[in-house]
Amino acid sequence: MKKVNLLGLGAGLLAALSFTPEPVMAQESTLDIVKSRGILRCQVGTPAPGFYSLSDDGKWSGFDVENCRAVSAAIFGDPDKIEYQSVTSAVRFTAMANGESDMLSRTTTWTLFRDTQLGLDFTTVNFYDGQGFMVNKDLGLTSALELKGATVCVLTGTTTELNLTDYARTNDLGITPVVFEDSNVRDSTFFSGGCDAVTNDKSGLASIRAKAPDQTIFEILPETISKEPLGPVVRQNDSQWNDIVMWSVFAMVNAEELGMSSSNVDDMKANSANPEVKRMLGVEGDLNTGLGLGPDWAYNIIKMVGNYGENYEEYMGAKTVMNIPRKGSVNDLWTRGGLMYSPPFR
Amino acid sequence: MSDTTHSDAVFRPKPSLPPPPNTVGVVGWLRKNLFGGPIDTIFTVVGIWLIGTLLVTVYQYGIANAVWEANSYRECLDTVLPNGEKVGHSGACWAGVAVWMNQYIYGRYPDPEQWRVQLCLAILVLWLMPFWLPRVTAKIQTGLSAVLTFPFLAAHILLGGEAGSFLMLTSSLALALFVTVWLNVITSYAMNKSVGKLVVELTGMADKDDRLHKWVLLAGFAVVFLGALAYESSWDLVAVPTTDWGGLFLTLCISGIAIASAIPSGVILALGRRSKMPVIRVFCTMWIELFRSVPLITILFMAVTMMPLFLPVELNPDKLVMVIVAVCIFASAYMAEIVRGGLQAIPKGQYEAAQALGLNYWKVTTFIVMPQALKLMIPNIVGNFIGLLKDTTLVSIIGLYDILLMAKASGQDPNWLGLHAEPMLFAAGVFFIICFAMSKYSQHLERTIAGGYGRR
Amino acid sequence: MAVIEKGGSSSGSSGKSALAFINDERFRSVFYQLLVGAIVLVAGYYLYANTAANLDARGMEVGFGFLGSTAGFSIAWSLIPYTPGDTYFHVFLVGIGNTLLVAAIAILTSTFLGFVMGVLRLSKNWLIRNIAAWYVEILRNTPLLLQILFWFLTVFALLPSPRQSLEPMTGFVLNNRGFYFPSPQPGDLFFLTAGAFVIGIVGAFILSKWATKRLFDTGQKTPVFPISLGLIFGFPLVVFLVTGAPLAFDLPTLQGFNFVGGGSVPPAFCALLLALTIYHSCFMAEAVRAGILSVSHGQTEASYSLGLKPSWTLRLVIIPQAMRAVVPPMISNWMNVVKNSSLAIAIGFPDLVAVFMQTSLNQSGHAIEIVAMVMLFYMTVSLSISLALNQYNKSVQLKER
Repeated sequence: MKKVNLLGLGAGLLAALSFTPEPVMAQESTLDIVKSRGILRCQVGTPAPGFYSLSDDGKWSGFDVENCRAVSAAIFGDPDKIEYQSVTSAVRFTAMANGESDMLSRTTTWTLFRDTQLGLDFTTVNFYDGQGFMVNKDLGLTSALELKGATVCVLTGTTTELNLTDYARTNDLGITPVVFEDSNVRDSTFFSGGCDAVTNDKSGLASIRAKAPDQTIFEILPETISKEPLGPVVRQNDSQWNDIVMWSVFAMVNAEELGMSSSNVDDMKANSANPEVKRMLGVEGDLNTGLGLGPDWAYNIIKMVGNYGENYEEYMGAKTVMNIPRKGSVNDLWTRGGLMYSPPFR
Repeated sequence: MSDTTHSDAVFRPKPSLPPPPNTVGVVGWLRKNLFGGPIDTIFTVVGIWLIGTLLVTVYQYGIANAVWEANSYRECLDTVLPNGEKVGHSGACWAGVAVWMNQYIYGRYPDPEQWRVQLCLAILVLWLMPFWLPRVTAKIQTGLSAVLTFPFLAAHILLGGEAGSFLMLTSSLALALFVTVWLNVITSYAMNKSVGKLVVELTGMADKDDRLHKWVLLAGFAVVFLGALAYESSWDLVAVPTTDWGGLFLTLCISGIAIASAIPSGVILALGRRSKMPVIRVFCTMWIELFRSVPLITILFMAVTMMPLFLPVELNPDKLVMVIVAVCIFASAYMAEIVRGGLQAIPKGQYEAAQALGLNYWKVTTFIVMPQALKLMIPNIVGNFIGLLKDTTLVSIIGLYDILLMAKASGQDPNWLGLHAEPMLFAAGVFFIICFAMSKYSQHLERTIAGGYGRR
Repeated sequence: MAVIEKGGSSSGSSGKSALAFINDERFRSVFYQLLVGAIVLVAGYYLYANTAANLDARGMEVGFGFLGSTAGFSIAWSLIPYTPGDTYFHVFLVGIGNTLLVAAIAILTSTFLGFVMGVLRLSKNWLIRNIAAWYVEILRNTPLLLQILFWFLTVFALLPSPRQSLEPMTGFVLNNRGFYFPSPQPGDLFFLTAGAFVIGIVGAFILSKWATKRLFDTGQKTPVFPISLGLIFGFPLVVFLVTGAPLAFDLPTLQGFNFVGGGSVPPAFCALLLALTIYHSCFMAEAVRAGILSVSHGQTEASYSLGLKPSWTLRLVIIPQAMRAVVPPMISNWMNVVKNSSLAIAIGFPDLVAVFMQTSLNQSGHAIEIVAMVMLFYMTVSLSISLALNQYNKSVQLKER
């Protein structure tokens, strides 16, 4: 009895293995996959205040999370058909390349290497950041160039680590980096004096300061040592999907420029005479067909997720722990001296 | 030398003197155990000082200066102590831990569905309960059925949604087995006979051939199975994707599945390593040595970075599944060595005697060697489980929301920004309680088993 | 055995005669092996084909060419000198150096502490016995990862900043940037001292062999210990002084933010070492305790009745037998130290996993090659440890016939 079973099992296994077809890359478009699945798999990072944080009732929220919600609203007309995948920064690109996530929206810096050699495409920028240093006021520093021989806390697996090395080499600072995997540990180390300075994107420095027992003793040095254009990422070779994600971000930016917000979009849809508003909200024309979405995709984004400015205020604004002023900064609209600029909806 | 003089000289022991006062009572105990000599005394004093400092520190941080009610970490830090100072980092902020407690335990598993997790735990406990009930027979079968089929039932309950036909069949089988196990328990206690015997008697087959009994029992079980299948088909559970699993529940899930799968695969690998067939021996040895000699963290990295490359894209494997597979592989290699140790402890005479009775390899292994070896291995298996449970915290490094990563996540919640040490201490406490309880239990088992051998 | 097999099958039911060859052990053995071999080959091919297709589809290349390109990131601390301009292969070596250093020291310290704790658990002093027991129970039942974090944060919280450094001895500085110590700068003739040290060790080894032989031949004892001590330390010291003490020390001095000069290890190293030492000492303590308890009391009594002094009893009877039970768990514990040193990643100590499998993998994206190299390294180390100790284990194992 036993023998026969074993033989059968072995033979079955052999047969099963030998008849498995040669693996082929799925040719289906990401949009079709997402539609048939009925849920968007959006990758965010391990919680980082402002951008993506987990609340005590298990909900994700944050500036980058709004990108996921915008895409979900555009496709399904429902901003919450999302399976959030929270992945450590070390394995974020692998998870994308594997097809595990449909899109990635998590403070990821657009670099040439990442755009060309990892099988990924960067869509657009939704937040312009730059790396800086924060130090204890006691040190009496006025410039990052005075950090000669200092110990600097930095997170691994990010461009931050490389920028620090480049900066130290350029200016011959001889900085000793202390590398961390976990931002909580990095911050505790910094607060207890384990490093002279901590380096991160400036938005991140604000959130580190917000954690400190005494916020007044730290100051952010004026230098911005790197450009950190952050934005959502998709897999390479699916330009339709790339367009959907990119134009979802643009829709939020453009809505702000046109004065549309979640509160007045219904009114605008009904009454606006502006042809661009009409085209964008699907009242006129068929701009949606190229994207493969319904006519009210942009309306849904604005109605359910809001415009760029609303989201900025909610997660980065003065009332939040981040408290990063927007007026006149690079993240303001181009009309007000910033870099937020959406191509025309035409 | 006369008789009279002799009788006068009868030995009458004096009543024994009381023991010297410094060897009995409290003083005696202290002298014997704490102040036996100058070195001992120094040790004791240093020991008392150590414990004192430790307790005072713990009390100050954990109780005296701790904040139990607050709405944010900032509030915790700014709470004013009776002496007028702010708490700052001198006291724990347990308020944050309390708010996040549900997440530490269940992860992002939706609140209204958490009864499913509890149900699974309850089923597992009930399933294993017959082990501690002396009058119930078929303990090995009970244990095997739980180890082999419970994961499927749990997967069905926890995942919810539309179950595939494979999961439907296996989980129904599990449910049917569970029901059978408990029917057996009930009949054992109520009527003092096993459920099998009862069924045979009720169908009036008691005087028939043994072979017929088997068919009757099989038919009986088929009825239960079909019932279970029909019942499970009627389930309408909300789907909860594995990305929402987390916390302690996920930790236990990963380590539980790993240890359950490690027992059969460890047995196979260990037998393979002891096999006389060179090909099989070489493969098994390579497997065991490879996965035993690398850190779990590298295996986990392999699982998330390389495994997706190994598998066809259409399979689209879930990250949790890949991590579980990785932990299972890791555990199987360790278990194989434990089983090998157990097998080596069985005297050669047992094999020889069994072979002399005409039993073949599989019969010798299944009926003679394994039962004895398994019994010897139980403490080591529990020890291995403890180790695995602790090692499972490493999944946080690759981004699975186990209790540790949940603890870290709570410190990034804008309300609780900076809450860091407290969740870690909480997690450490949870691990300590679970692991300590298991280690005590395994020590108890070790003694019972040793006792069993001693009596023979 | 074959005879028994036949006997067994002939008592089975009829109708199997056509399949009689199935019961031939040799045939079955060959068949099973072919089957397993085939399954493994097919599975291997299946994985290979998938990988090739996946790599192709993603436009990824496999190859070790990337090892020669510039890494471009800094490493906080390394045993082997390193600059950001070095190659990935150099990073690999740096990682190996750091891992081996921390693992080697942790093995020594945890074994030592484990022996102490194991003996203390058997102490006659009730308090000490219980403290040791709770020490073991608490620390071995909480995850190492948590302990590493705990020590790291505590170490930082307790140590002063560089300007208020602790300096227990001139040249030895402890602050929250690390532990600084004078680094020796050997002069030209220092190699003679080092040579003398090696000769001393060899001499002591030969002496002990000779002393054992003499003991067995003549029954006379030789004071091996003091002579060896003299050979190993005294002789090099004499050479050192005669050659004019050719050794200078580079002392660490406070300059700018921190101390420069001398040698130093970062706090992460200290915390990792502390955590590994303490965690693994618990397992060592358990092994030692079990080992000592495994020697039956009859052995002690028998050796007393032969007239051996208690110290001799311990050294010649109890410890050799206890070691037999201590060594196997010790082997696996040492292997675990090496493996667990990979948790350094959590606190930013640049070990192999952190610099190579984390940072390098991230920068270069060559997952397969990097993971394979790291696994190969750990395998080599673990297997060498287990091989060496198994050899020892064999030599002390009870010879049963």
